[in-house]
Amino acid sequence: MITDQTVFATTATILFFLGLFSMFYSRNLLKTIISFQIVVFGANLALFSSGLGHASNLMANTLVLFSIVVGASVEAVALALIVLVHRAYGTLDPWKIKRLRH
Amino acid sequence: MVTEVALLLSVALLVTIIAAIFSKSISVTVIMLFYASLVLGVIFTIYQAVVVGLLHITMFAGAMSVMLMTVVLMTGESKLDIGNRKLAALLATITILIVAASSYSLFSGASSLPQSPSQSTEGILAFVWMFRPWDLLILVIIFAAAMIGVVNLLSKEERA
Repeated sequence: MITDQTVFATTATILFFLGLFSMFYSRNLLKTIISFQIVVFGANLALFSSGLGHASNLMANTLVLFSIVVGASVEAVALALIVLVHRAYGTLDPWKIKRLRH
Repeated sequence: MVTEVALLLSVALLVTIIAAIFSKSISVTVIMLFYASLVLGVIFTIYQAVVVGLLHITMFAGAMSVMLMTVVLMTGESKLDIGNRKLAALLATITILIVAASSYSLFSGASSLPQSPSQSTEGILAFVWMFRPWDLLILVIIFAAAMIGVVNLLSKEERA
């Protein structure tokens, strides 16, 4: 029996692993941040789906709220750091940055 | 009927995310991410979490999309290199299939969060829920700090 909870939990897991895969595979720091956002989306959906089907899903909603705040904050700081890195090295390719540092 | 809506929204979410991951142009990626944030916000809103859904749309489809666009314009990075695209697509497809199969078998029979959390946990959660505007305040402070950092950085460069 497929329920909404199962559908969303499956989607959340796919999102999480797709984001993780893209994070490790990308050669651009901006893309890494975008992948991190996808991972956060997956985590949010997983938390939300865990509260579905109950009369009161206060616990799940609160955790999603926390997750949104933490994810957005981390992303904002990371984007500021990306601008800093681009000013310093002129590229967003992590391998080139690693070479330029030596 | 309800499950059909859930399936439709999930497919829309997955399609936008896959388009965001595999597109070559950064602007397409940001636009697709915007749509994905919107779809996720709609999912939250439809399933009775209106506050969470609206906060999600405001935060990710609004603020983060604008910040991403600003960074793209500032850095001038227009192309996204993801290496060998065919290999990436193949690996992603395998990942999706494995994860979908395993998570379906995992979640279809699994129990979710406890239906009635203990009294102390409920008290803490009620407290957190009551003071949720503090979350917004923390967000505003961190956004402001990040923006001040970037402006400071740019003004130093202009002086130099």
